Amino acid sequence: MKTTYILLFSLFCFFTVQAQVDRTIMPTPGPAPEINLGEPETFNLNNGLKVLVVENHKLPKVSIQLSIDNPPILEGDKAGVASLTGSLLGKGSKNIAKDEFNEEIDFLGARLSFSSQGAYAQSLSKYFPRIIELMADAAIYPNFTQEEFDKEKDILLTGLKSEEKVVSAISGRVQRALAYGKNHPYGEFATEKTVNNVTLADVEEFYRDYFVPANAYLIVIGDVTLNEVKTLTDTYFTSWTKAVPPSFSYSEPKNVPNTQINLVDMPNAVQSEITVQNLVNLKMKDDDFIAALLANQILGGGSDSRLNQNLREDKGYTYGAYTSLGNNKYAPSRFTASAEVRNMVTDSSVVEILKELELINTQPVTEKELKTTKALYAGSFIMALEDPQTIARYALNVEKEGLPKDFYKSFLEKLENVSKADVELAAKKYFNVNNARVIVVGKGSEILSNLENIDFHGKKLPVLSYSKTADRIETPNYNVSVPEGTTAKEVIEKYIKSIGGKAKLEAAKSYAMKATAEMQGMKLELEMKKTTNNQFMQDVKMMGNSMSKQVLNGDGGYMIAQGQHKDFSEEEVMKIKEESALFPELNYTKLDGISLEGMEIVGDKNAYKLKVNDIKSAFYDVETGLKLQEINITEIQGQQITSTSNFENYQEVDGILFPFKLIQTVGPQNFEFIVSEIKINDGVSDVDFE
Amino acid sequence: MRNKLILVTAILFNGILAFAQEVDFEEYDLNNGLHVILHQDNTAPIISISALYHVGSKDEDPERTGFAHFFEHLLFEGTENIEKGMWDQIVSSNGGSGNATTDEDRTYYYEVFPSNNLQLGLWLESERMLHPVINQKGVDTQNEVVKEEKRLRVDNSPYGKFIENIKKNLFKNHPYKETVIGKMDHLDAATLEEFIAFQKKFYVPNNAVLVVAGDFKKENAKKLISDYFNTIPKGQEISRNFPKEQPILEQINAKAYDPNIQIPATMIAYRTPGLKNRDSQVLDMISTYLSDGPSSKLYKKIVDEQKQALQVGAFPATQEDYGMYIVFALPVGETSLEALNTEMEEEIEKLRTDLISENDYQKLQNKFENQFVNSNSSVEGIANSLAEYYMLYGDTSLINKEIEIYRSITREEIKDVAKKYLNPNQRLVLEYLPEQNTAN
Repeated sequence: MKTTYILLFSLFCFFTVQAQVDRTIMPTPGPAPEINLGEPETFNLNNGLKVLVVENHKLPKVSIQLSIDNPPILEGDKAGVASLTGSLLGKGSKNIAKDEFNEEIDFLGARLSFSSQGAYAQSLSKYFPRIIELMADAAIYPNFTQEEFDKEKDILLTGLKSEEKVVSAISGRVQRALAYGKNHPYGEFATEKTVNNVTLADVEEFYRDYFVPANAYLIVIGDVTLNEVKTLTDTYFTSWTKAVPPSFSYSEPKNVPNTQINLVDMPNAVQSEITVQNLVNLKMKDDDFIAALLANQILGGGSDSRLNQNLREDKGYTYGAYTSLGNNKYAPSRFTASAEVRNMVTDSSVVEILKELELINTQPVTEKELKTTKALYAGSFIMALEDPQTIARYALNVEKEGLPKDFYKSFLEKLENVSKADVELAAKKYFNVNNARVIVVGKGSEILSNLENIDFHGKKLPVLSYSKTADRIETPNYNVSVPEGTTAKEVIEKYIKSIGGKAKLEAAKSYAMKATAEMQGMKLELEMKKTTNNQFMQDVKMMGNSMSKQVLNGDGGYMIAQGQHKDFSEEEVMKIKEESALFPELNYTKLDGISLEGMEIVGDKNAYKLKVNDIKSAFYDVETGLKLQEINITEIQGQQITSTSNFENYQEVDGILFPFKLIQTVGPQNFEFIVSEIKINDGVSDVDFE
Repeated sequence: MRNKLILVTAILFNGILAFAQEVDFEEYDLNNGLHVILHQDNTAPIISISALYHVGSKDEDPERTGFAHFFEHLLFEGTENIEKGMWDQIVSSNGGSGNATTDEDRTYYYEVFPSNNLQLGLWLESERMLHPVINQKGVDTQNEVVKEEKRLRVDNSPYGKFIENIKKNLFKNHPYKETVIGKMDHLDAATLEEFIAFQKKFYVPNNAVLVVAGDFKKENAKKLISDYFNTIPKGQEISRNFPKEQPILEQINAKAYDPNIQIPATMIAYRTPGLKNRDSQVLDMISTYLSDGPSSKLYKKIVDEQKQALQVGAFPATQEDYGMYIVFALPVGETSLEALNTEMEEEIEKLRTDLISENDYQKLQNKFENQFVNSNSSVEGIANSLAEYYMLYGDTSLINKEIEIYRSITREEIKDVAKKYLNPNQRLVLEYLPEQNTAN
């Protein structure tokens, strides 16, 4: 009886308590959780290698990181040697051949990779002894062979080449080169020339000089014991010869005296990449380090930040605008504010970025901004602790950056103590709107004149032009005006004359051409035949199979694409007839509506722009008269698609000049056709157009 | 180098040792049918709160595809107590992060916080379950966002349409024939009433599992869970009776075109059993054997040695009712797709006729053990696994036992399973080709 009462009573309590939850009110956080920051065990080997061990037995796995904390290395006219050394490390060792080495790591279910200044491995803890042995073996007894060197050099050169059209890659390179100068370790970069200067012997020398234990840390984290790590590092890393890397001196980089725009022209750019940057002297051990982090976060650290709210959410200029604030114990680092924006709004975006930099200097951060940002930092600090790598990273930072021992233990407390005034001071110190470089990489012809008109503090910002390799160049004149009296007719006549003259062109009755393009290892073959009797045939083959074929014979024709046969409509026949003329320009002089639109720069040449019709423009070299480019607009499923053809490497065939290199660009696709054969009045018969 | 022998003995020895890792958990039901799983781990001050609903694209009306995924978006729009647009801000200003995912079978929502925000996380998920606001404005906003997502992930993405084409060909009756993202005209045609009805049917406690993982005190968590979730009304029982598929007896040939690619691909796909079937795990091992790592069979032969393919892969798409097993390759240079198919079939045929080597078998065991260990390295990852093991596999304890299943799979079983499912007459061969722009 009594028990029943108690039961009823407790049930009652239960329901009362439950009713007390008011879900219209958002719960507030409980007291901040206690942070339990483990400390790694450390010991040194005689050769200088420092070992950090974080025992964590939660999971039977282990990670090993080798990190060499050398001062910045100047590679000079052999820039690329560091990257090549990194690529060649870890390809087996003097003791184990490459294939056997890879097979064994795979067999263990493990991973092992190298860079020029370190290595990383991850495996089950039961294979720890073997994986640390393999790492040490590959690190101390590398097997540098000419064969692997040639292979890696090829890969590096291909990578550099493919970067040449990538706006972000060029921007990154120019930003660093302008901030530090090209003779500074942080400003130099690899080019085809410097990479070709590198030999296998240079890689060996780089390895001997810099892959040394003087500034090296080995960090072991996971299900291991300190004693086990001591024994194994003693066994495998003692033979690493003690050495100190050579040191350099280089000039101290400086900010520019006045804010200026540095423009790099990339005619293929559809977006401009804008970076506003200045150098900062910020080290982790500085008192205002955390205040500086918060200032950066509020200005542009995330999607809620001021810069992104303005440029993306409010104006819709960009998919994202962010800032970053570096720190470095050896040299100045950079503050950058950057966004990729469409050409039309490049100047407006520069104005808005500069405005936000001014505002954070003048308009104080709000209590709410500060509170939210602190919560965000505290949250990610706490949540990072789940990963045992964090403890090691913190310990390593304390060592490398000379931080107080309790830097991370008291991090949350320091974070909480940062005041609005601290954040404002940091903003003033590190976001330097009056000595900034505004680096814009984009299509000069569309953005230059607007950039030249930006008003900043009542004055125009100077616009200085740079090449893609960060050399100062003359600002190209994008607005060359057409010389008085020049007409479309003259341009066409000059072209006809320059490729061989009207008589020669009119004597040509047929034309046959073969070309190939290489596309990520795939071979595209193009065959084209034309006659003056409205006959046209074009066949594109991929891997020997016809992908698309178009045939016109007099007043009818068809196309086959993806195995589907389709007859041309009357309209299509008309269009192809125009295109199929051997030299369409011969007819241009008769056509109405062709107009000289102006001058533009194609590549690095001045060209006349002719509007042939609503969907086609052609560009002719002012100097030589040759045709440089054609732009066609087609409409596919309601979308306008622009295709661009560039003509290069003109060579003579039967007294007529033809381009032997055709570059076709449609959207992101780019085909470079190399002509192997052109025949005039030969190799074409009626059978070809059946 | 030296001591190869020692290495081998070490492996044998270690292989016998039992695996010590255990994920501790407790599970129970509330009166409204909500299943609760608690995994306490106080090593780091982090907490993960997540809800998995047993609803995916297979549960949709065939005329209203894309609903489940649409709800992944819609249920961030706000609740009766959370204003529209505030959800993300509440999470981030309390130091947390979160997201959601949808597939054919289930939808998963989660938040991770410093552990002093357990109550906040439970409040958020209970609000989402009890009274999300579903109105025309939210539907219209998310309709645009989902369309952008489809453009980004499917229409504009190289090889983005391959799964769609495989599903279409492997399934004729079962709703797995449709995609998760669904058809945009279905979403455009859907009425607000239809969205509300879908929510009432599927996003109810008796169709969900709540997982709390990380640093908390059990009594406190249980009380808060009861406070916030007990009052949520139970929904109708859901019955599922999907049409069955007929066995594939003859090779299916199909073609698909993609305007975003330059290099074609060949894809061979087989229909396999649902994920509760042990054979599904055997197929998992077969994939790793064929294509994981530089020394795997297909990679080493076709990519590394014969240089016929840029890339080759094999992977199982595990699903509740039926699975798909997909092998694909991208040719180098003038290699034809047929040649790649022949090479791939050659390796699969070996699986059907011969036992894999002892050495390869041991390598597979090492790889699975490594994978297993790494899959349990974050509380959020553990929470996700617990929820799926409960809801889809019907056995939460698989979180600790699944590795035993892999360990118990024998070389003979691998051969038998290959023989059972991976025959040429049971496959789809899909030529995935670049769509030519009508150039010139």
